[in-house]
Amino acid sequence: MPDTRTFRSGVLRRAAVLAAVPLLVLAGCSSSSSTTASTSANAAPTGGSLTIGLLGDIGQPPDPDIYYANNGLAIVLNAYEGLVQYQNNIDTVKIAPRLATSWTISKDNTVYTFKLRTGVTFHDGTPFTSAAVKVAFDRRIAVKGGAAYMVQGVKSVATPDAQTAVVTLKEGNAAFLDYLASPFGPKMESPTGLTKNAGTDNAQTYLMTHDLGTGPYELTSAQTGTKYGMTQYAGYWGTKSPFKTINLPVYNDASSIQLAFDKGDVSAIVAALPSSSLPKYNNNPAYGSYLLPTLQSALVTLNPSKSFFAGKPARTAFMQFIDQQKLVTQVLGARSEVATTLYAKGMIPGGADKQNISYDPAVFTAYAKTVPAGTAMVIGYASDNTNAQQMAAIVAAQAQAAGIKATAQGFPTSQVFGWANDPTKGPDAFIDGNNGPDGGNPYMWGHVFWDKSGGINYFLCDDPAVDADLDAAVKSGATALFVKAAQQYSATGCYLNLSYNKDWVVAQKWLAGVAEAHNIGANELDFSLLSIKK
Amino acid sequence: MLKKFLWRRLGSAIVLLLLLTLIIFILETITPGDPVKAYLGANASPADIAAKRHELGLDSPVPVRYLKFLGNLLHGDLGISYRTHRPVTSDLADFLPATAELVAVAFVLAIGLAVLFALSGGLRWRGTGIFRGVMLLAATAPPFLLALGGIVLFYSQLGWLPASGQGADSSSPTGILLLDSLLHGDFAQFGSAFSHLVMPALVLAIAPSVAIGRVLRSSLQATLTADHVRTARAKGLREIAVLRKHVARNAIGPGLSMGGLQLGFMFAGTVVVEQIFSWPGIGNYLAASIPVSDFPAIAAVTLVLGAFYIIVNAAVDILQALADPRLNA
Repeated sequence: MPDTRTFRSGVLRRAAVLAAVPLLVLAGCSSSSSTTASTSANAAPTGGSLTIGLLGDIGQPPDPDIYYANNGLAIVLNAYEGLVQYQNNIDTVKIAPRLATSWTISKDNTVYTFKLRTGVTFHDGTPFTSAAVKVAFDRRIAVKGGAAYMVQGVKSVATPDAQTAVVTLKEGNAAFLDYLASPFGPKMESPTGLTKNAGTDNAQTYLMTHDLGTGPYELTSAQTGTKYGMTQYAGYWGTKSPFKTINLPVYNDASSIQLAFDKGDVSAIVAALPSSSLPKYNNNPAYGSYLLPTLQSALVTLNPSKSFFAGKPARTAFMQFIDQQKLVTQVLGARSEVATTLYAKGMIPGGADKQNISYDPAVFTAYAKTVPAGTAMVIGYASDNTNAQQMAAIVAAQAQAAGIKATAQGFPTSQVFGWANDPTKGPDAFIDGNNGPDGGNPYMWGHVFWDKSGGINYFLCDDPAVDADLDAAVKSGATALFVKAAQQYSATGCYLNLSYNKDWVVAQKWLAGVAEAHNIGANELDFSLLSIKK
Repeated sequence: MLKKFLWRRLGSAIVLLLLLTLIIFILETITPGDPVKAYLGANASPADIAAKRHELGLDSPVPVRYLKFLGNLLHGDLGISYRTHRPVTSDLADFLPATAELVAVAFVLAIGLAVLFALSGGLRWRGTGIFRGVMLLAATAPPFLLALGGIVLFYSQLGWLPASGQGADSSSPTGILLLDSLLHGDFAQFGSAFSHLVMPALVLAIAPSVAIGRVLRSSLQATLTADHVRTARAKGLREIAVLRKHVARNAIGPGLSMGGLQLGFMFAGTVVVEQIFSWPGIGNYLAASIPVSDFPAIAAVTLVLGAFYIIVNAAVDILQALADPRLNA
């Protein structure tokens, strides 16, 4: 009889060796792949490839008539072009040519005549002519995306010749050109391609993974949740960058994307890093750090459907209690500045829309003494916005010091947008870390944030007179009426423009043309204008 | 006997899945939020939202929607994702293979590590104590911490392994890159796919491997010293025969049971691991769907995970019965 212990030990050894085989295989594979995983220091790419990291997936299909979210604009704006755009590299709202080289507008803002660029082709080879304008507008209406409203006022599109499109609106709309310049505005799509790939859903399925635009890059791969790829369009009419391919890998958290950037695997990160990363990259000579103008703001909105802020005195006192300077300095840092106007910075010429809320915490402190001890207040923030979280925590702490039982609470996005269905289910106050309009016309701000039918008036704090003024102002384009509407809405005490936010782009030192590739409305870069520093 | 067992299992699985769908519907009803915003975009007007809600049938009473959901389910229709705008079945077809690949590799890894862990107690080799200590330490760390630590060490510092994605430059026919690259003889792609798998698979495997290993170890120890094993040896049986007939089959039961349980947990664990490593699987898909209340996607992934868990447990029961006929008596 063999010795049990010896036998068992022998069996165990053999089994252990067998179990170790997969581990050794793994180790071998991992070491053999190490060269592909690691890159040398953050040197400029030599293969004509640029990698722009995305923080989170783009969320919706990159179809220009569907896409109505954030970082996917990087794809939409480089694959498609509209008739006009906002001018790059300036901090004011100015419309610039794109596929239209010039335009005229009738006095009553009902007829827009566009002269179109020649020598433009779609990615499928179809020449761009005025016929594409109507096709693009019609498709936008047909697919009923969130930004379909931009062409719902179009009565007709006439095409007197191949390079002229005459758009007639049902009624005057001074914001129409801004609709067209908006990153979410109608983009030109190949009529031939749309017909060929129409399927049963107006080519929506096709445009999930392909594009039919005229832009500098074609969408060549779309792996939802993982990465997207674009390839330079050889027939592009405009400037061509040295980057033949654009890689857009998806990272699901800020630390992962930063590690990849530090390692040189990511060339640039656009508007994705939290302010807490500013000290590391901003003013660091090892990196390119660009703080670029946007129409975005941090906002405070109060809920008049909750008992705490049912009365205007409480709302006004609380808004005076908000220390804008402190929140900008302590939380937002260099990527923001204290907002002094009611609309976005630069929307109203000369800043005539001044925000007349002076910081005076004593007013709220005095008010707090008049409410029953231990009265609770919830200050909400979107749970995925760390800046808003910090600001809410600071304001809550200050309110606690004033004797209010205030708490900061995060809410998922879907819940935030659901409050408009029943504002009583929302918090007392909400700090929006970053939000903005679709475009640079004041109507696009006022309607969205102040009109209860606008979309982001979370708590339905409404003044019908403001809505009426905005509706009148958009027809005439009268700046004075926009200013009046803003001042009236500010008087409700529901709204505070906390800060003007900037797009923070962190790039490898070798990347050139970042500011030139950015405009105030887009929040993304035009890759065709990027290059390598010599 | 086995047929009866399978029918019984199938019946209970259907009841469990129906219960699961009911719970999901109740949760959707009581959870505040507006998924239509995810469908149309943040700035969509209330009028457009109301129209889309009607189009999607979200304004119907919950019982009507539930019955419609079950009816569609019977036809293999899981609805349209509010986020991706695609049929959920298409999304699952795209994302499930990557998860299956990750879990399969992680499970093989977990079994290997578990056997090593189980045997390490009896080995006199130097370093087995350190191995067990490291394994226990890693198993106690939350997966997200382990993943981030792995990324910092193996990707950022050492540069040995990639930190995100599946390593494919284009979509593969089956979605299982290891398999596709092998079938095409593309060994560079295979190496890339494998290197992308190592970290997420390891993170997913460590805790289950310790759980399985501990059970396996005590089971092996108990069986090796059991009376029937001593008797078998006394009868003069060869050791390999003793091991095969009297030790392995008796000792494997608890390990199998724990392995099945852990395999189910592994699928659930992909939600965290896939997110951190940007792995294009159903865990990542679910994680992106939850914040925007993409109910059809959430319901479908939950059903898939639930069904898988039930199937794995049924398979374990069958294997146990085959390994130890006494359980079938």
